[in-house]
Amino acid sequence: MRLAAPRALAFTATALLVACSHQADPLLGSSAPQITVGTALAGSQAIARTLDDSPRSLDPQLTTDIPSQRVLDDLFEGLVTFSIDGKPSPGAAASWQQSADSKTWVFHLRPDARWSNGAPLTAEDFLYSWRREVDPKTGAGYAQALAPIVNALDIALGRKPPEALGVEANDAHTLTVHLGAATPYLLDLMDQTYLYPVYRPAIERYGDDWVRPGNLVSNGAFMLREDVIGNRITLSANPFYWDAAHVRLRSVIYYTMPDRAQAVLRYLAGDVQFTDSFAASQRPWLKRTLGDQVVNSPWLGIYMLAFNFKLPPFRDNLPLRQALILAIDRAALTQYLKFGMYEPADTLMPPLDGYQQQHPDWAAKTQLERDALARRLYREAGFTAEHPLRVNLSTSVQGADERHYMEAVAAMWHAVLGAEVALDETEFKVLAQNRELRLLPLFFDAWIGDFADPVNFMQLFQSGSAFNYGSYANPRFDALLERVARDPDNGARYRLLEQAEQILNADAAYIPLYYYATRHLIKPYVQGWRSNVMDRNLSRYMYILEHQGR
Amino acid sequence: MPRYILRRVLESVPTLLLIVTLAFVLLHLAPGGPFSADKPLLPEIRHSIEARYHLQEPLWRQYLRYLNDLAHGDLGPSFQYRNTSVNQIIATGFPVDLTVGLSAIVVALLVGIPIGLNAAWRRHTWWDRLPMALAVAGISLPVFVIAPLLVLVFAVQLHWLPAGDWVPGSLSHMVLPVLALSLPYIAYVARIVRGSALEVLNTAYIRTARAKGLSTLRILLHHALRPSLAPVVSFLGPTTAGVITISIVVETVFGLPGIGRFFVTGALNRDYTLVLGITILYGTLIILFNLLADLCYAWLDPRVRL
Repeated sequence: MRLAAPRALAFTATALLVACSHQADPLLGSSAPQITVGTALAGSQAIARTLDDSPRSLDPQLTTDIPSQRVLDDLFEGLVTFSIDGKPSPGAAASWQQSADSKTWVFHLRPDARWSNGAPLTAEDFLYSWRREVDPKTGAGYAQALAPIVNALDIALGRKPPEALGVEANDAHTLTVHLGAATPYLLDLMDQTYLYPVYRPAIERYGDDWVRPGNLVSNGAFMLREDVIGNRITLSANPFYWDAAHVRLRSVIYYTMPDRAQAVLRYLAGDVQFTDSFAASQRPWLKRTLGDQVVNSPWLGIYMLAFNFKLPPFRDNLPLRQALILAIDRAALTQYLKFGMYEPADTLMPPLDGYQQQHPDWAAKTQLERDALARRLYREAGFTAEHPLRVNLSTSVQGADERHYMEAVAAMWHAVLGAEVALDETEFKVLAQNRELRLLPLFFDAWIGDFADPVNFMQLFQSGSAFNYGSYANPRFDALLERVARDPDNGARYRLLEQAEQILNADAAYIPLYYYATRHLIKPYVQGWRSNVMDRNLSRYMYILEHQGR
Repeated sequence: MPRYILRRVLESVPTLLLIVTLAFVLLHLAPGGPFSADKPLLPEIRHSIEARYHLQEPLWRQYLRYLNDLAHGDLGPSFQYRNTSVNQIIATGFPVDLTVGLSAIVVALLVGIPIGLNAAWRRHTWWDRLPMALAVAGISLPVFVIAPLLVLVFAVQLHWLPAGDWVPGSLSHMVLPVLALSLPYIAYVARIVRGSALEVLNTAYIRTARAKGLSTLRILLHHALRPSLAPVVSFLGPTTAGVITISIVVETVFGLPGIGRFFVTGALNRDYTLVLGITILYGTLIILFNLLADLCYAWLDPRVRL
């Protein structure tokens, strides 16, 4: 298919931007990208992006879904924000210090930080917002994320009042955070949406309606103009934002497009310039027609299947678990059913700087060797052709692509081992409930990192963790995670976490399938973004180059 | 007539109550709850949310509470879209569905009736065979095939029309969705009109009109049209409600912010109030359009007494 041809020349006055070099203190200054002298910016600095679903809410404390996160990242800003590379960088706080034992952090807010109505942003605002997050009355979506802060979990469990939270506003611009244990990833936590500040007067005045346009007051680079439920959310530049001088986009529109094919069509028609995802099956022709506009890059997430360690047939049956892990040709699955969009996985932890991935022994073998080994282990586990493994693989209804993938996995188990695995497809809500109740022997599971730290992945297998749907339990693994929690040094922690992952490998704790990847379509004239493992691309950094056509 | 309307309206109350009750019970019987999620909620937080939505009360009390709110015109808060009420969702989305759906019906009538009449008048000629063959194609081609094709041709390739989105009052944004939605109904209407017009054209009074030397146009419009429309009206009653409500595919392909999509995702998300609210709206529409169809029927055919 032909690309959108240039229509009427949509030339507008172009601004030749003379970049002013910004060499201030790196902690105080803007992290906005520098534009080279002579770059011609388009006259209209506006972008349209897509969301895969309607955001559940624009209340930062209530939501954990990705569409909400995208919009909230533009509307609000935490003490720490994301740099263009998706790394923690100074946001509402210009600087911070930590105590020698790393248990006390002091954040210094920018004196010029303001809300979108011009009111000053203070430490008191953060105190209010974080108490609101852990207060059970709020009904926050992910209050346990604040667990490192003193008393946070007790408050969320209703054992202490919100005022007991280990956070103090020392003065208008100083906030002290007390932690129960050293938390080297604290900065990665501080840029999460649920820690964004909210504007108390608006909440007290409008109640649930505080998130509507006209009521919502925010502190990010953009403010809310319009919110048409199920259609679009329009943002405009916030003149009171501390780094407003470096924000080039004047408006950002987020269109809700649950149908990925529609997002692709709208992109081809030139209505949107930055899409959030496309179906794997569309990748080959998109690549052919759009080339570099198709952006796939590593995203910190793992797609896997999980065993229940409390239920037969996987309880106390290591060889059976190993056999199922081995008898899957991941490379073929990702190549033919995911069209090369994802990388086959053999570890829990996706690639991350500084962490040494712990590839299991079988990763070095060929698929033929794995299959042979799998057959031996399957027999060892007590299964034969006459007495095959019969079990359900529980997944949620996610469309034909996903179903084909799971059918292929089951077919491989049948071809290599003779196992009879039936797909049990239910709605996601049913799967989620059954998983939570620990009713399923073999089920779909996936995790996208909340923050770039391996501990966020390892906790999925910690005894007592709410996410440990397979009831995996190994005291040595738990002990390592305990030590990790006490160790403030990232290097040493990573080595301990690597050991922990080796234990998971030895226990055949889960079935890795593939690592997630970002899936954007981005027009060549949209600049000011970089692929990053957190897949956070703030509109604040983006700008539009002069261009012809759409 | 007013008495008849009043009786029909009163009759619809128990029907609606039955719909609400069934939907309420079925939703609560469905496995999985609105707050089963990827990230499980802490128990205390879960209790607090459930208390807010009164989910801890016995079901009969929740039901009575819902009926009471309903009687006051309050469809409750959405479970999935926190901070948003079902009334807000319907108030935003329904006008879009109504505009596109009614426009599609009008287009279907304006195009389908002349084609059908013409085909009947010139039966067994190309004026009959070609449109009727196209009508079969129009009925059999599903909208999820037609709609993306329309976008590819008219928006992506030719750039004549927008590929989607909804801008209130903008005609250009309406053309493709209305066309996609109306195509199968143009076909239905044309076939129905042809069928009934064939019968009418064989009646004695049409022969008399012809014998009097009246023009073709006059015979068709003044004598044949009205009786030929009766079956179209019976078809339109339930269909109009359907066109307005079940345009989920069209909504999705063209990015229209209607409520059809919320109905589906609401059911998947166990958003009890959202699904109930839309069910009630759809039920009301179907009852309303059937009543309108019966009234039109009486107007078209004087033999029918209400």
